Amino acid sequence: MTLVLILALVLLLFLGAPLFALIAAVAWLGVRAAGYDQTLLVAQFYGLTEMPVLIAIPLFTLAGYLLSESLAPARLVRLTEALLGWLHGGLAIVALLACAIFTAFTGASGVTIVAIGGLLLPALRQANYPERFSLGLITTSGSLGLLFVPSVPLILYGIVAQQLGTTPAVSIDDMFLAGVLPGLLMLAVLAVYGMWRAPARRRDLPFSAREARAALWDARYELPLPILVLGGVYGGFFAASEVAAVTALYVLLVSVLIRREIPLRRLPELLREAMMLVGAILLILGVSLALTNVIIDAEVPARMVHWVNQHVHSRWGFLLLLNAFLILLGMLLDVFSATVLVVPILIPIALHYGVHPVHLGIIFLANMQIGYFTPPVGMNLFIASYRFNTPVLELTRAALPFFWLLLACVLVITYWPGLSLALL
Amino acid sequence: MTRVGKRLLVWLNRLENTLIATLALLLVLLSGAQVLLRLGNHGIVWLDPLLRVLVLWLAMLGALAAARVDKHISLDVLGRLLRGPARRFVRLLSFGFAAVVSAMLAQAALGLIEVDREAQTRLFGSVPSWWAESILPVVFGLLALRFLLRAVVAGEEPVP
Repeated sequence: MTLVLILALVLLLFLGAPLFALIAAVAWLGVRAAGYDQTLLVAQFYGLTEMPVLIAIPLFTLAGYLLSESLAPARLVRLTEALLGWLHGGLAIVALLACAIFTAFTGASGVTIVAIGGLLLPALRQANYPERFSLGLITTSGSLGLLFVPSVPLILYGIVAQQLGTTPAVSIDDMFLAGVLPGLLMLAVLAVYGMWRAPARRRDLPFSAREARAALWDARYELPLPILVLGGVYGGFFAASEVAAVTALYVLLVSVLIRREIPLRRLPELLREAMMLVGAILLILGVSLALTNVIIDAEVPARMVHWVNQHVHSRWGFLLLLNAFLILLGMLLDVFSATVLVVPILIPIALHYGVHPVHLGIIFLANMQIGYFTPPVGMNLFIASYRFNTPVLELTRAALPFFWLLLACVLVITYWPGLSLALL
Repeated sequence: MTRVGKRLLVWLNRLENTLIATLALLLVLLSGAQVLLRLGNHGIVWLDPLLRVLVLWLAMLGALAAARVDKHISLDVLGRLLRGPARRFVRLLSFGFAAVVSAMLAQAALGLIEVDREAQTRLFGSVPSWWAESILPVVFGLLALRFLLRAVVAGEEPVP
């Protein structure tokens, strides 16, 4: 009977039934099997209101939607180009930086490819960068900022890990600090590759102080944002939720009232679109809170630890297995569902092998970042294919060199805990 | 769908849009205001629990809106490959399942409200918890209806 149920649920999963319904169904079965009332299920779902950091998710998501709908992406590209365009391979570095900053603010929801990629691809073409390199660069960069503050996946991992009450504890601020060096490593590796593949120019474009000043002035309203977020979080002035509140309010005022790039008519629709994503994420988070309790109640993590322990004897072996598993997972699931579903089980196992939960978070997200463009089902491949009117197969080939480079980075991040933990 | 049904749906969708936009603006303004107030050490104590409930309400309404345009997170591997009657059948199956689960969650939510009404749990001050919880059965119930509708109707719903 149980087997039939499990098979039916797996079938429904592959047929495209909403994930939250599947998780709720499993949690429901677990609650019933343990002899509790089903009210417990919703009571744990309501536990969403007991997480003070949670508010950061709708606020940052909203700020990201507003930013991507305004002309901020164009100004960001102009500014980075004015500052870095004179370098050999400067435009590739511009693309990487602009995408990373933008993804950190918007989450790797594919918005980056649509908003920034659309501006950069023509520019790369015009500067004679190889077509395939350019496509690969943009497709890859769509998930590049995942490890940088204030990316929502970092926050979500922190929230889920906090629920488990690990020792050592995980705070959102820890996650923000831990992501810095691994994120910079990825950026640096891709930047060097970009410089290597950049076409030779007959003469380098000189740096123009005038254009730099103009671009800085053009971006005057956006410039306080990174300062606010970085200063607020790293300077310890604000909690993550407070930074989110100020950011959202500021972006709303600037884009609607000061710059007026988002007409008031358009605002309700944008708000609704942002909240649809928030709703989809939090609904899954809510039901998986219930599932996590069921799982812990049934001592699944303890059994998993025991089982893995029988087959994997060293920390290195565990980490290797973890990488393979996470890349597969990242192909199949988006980062949000993967986090709420898998992290509660992964953390106890990782702790058993002496992996720091913050380090695990960075490994997890770095793998997920690659998963976004891992063929055959990485989501960003489809978004880029749609946006640039290019077959998925062509994009897959274009993204392959980037995949290997970032995979190497992920291995470094995995086996060198210090890189993630040095700043804590 | 009948004409009355369609008009009812348009009306409901409009209400939903307005509610989401209003609450989202409220969330931004209130949470921003709270930070500024706190800087001057005038933070409002009951605003934090209120904001957390506001997040829940927005998430629930957002989830309801997401169902309108098939934006719920799913692993759509096989469904994407299918066409014609096979695709319709798969929709019927997967959204029908979602409708059943949503209805079950709505029922469980009613149970939670009953428990908290009897225990007279307070959210803050004299505000009863079940007021905040009341969004749960409403949205899960509506979600069940909407998934049922999406199970048989493909394509866009009439959106104003």
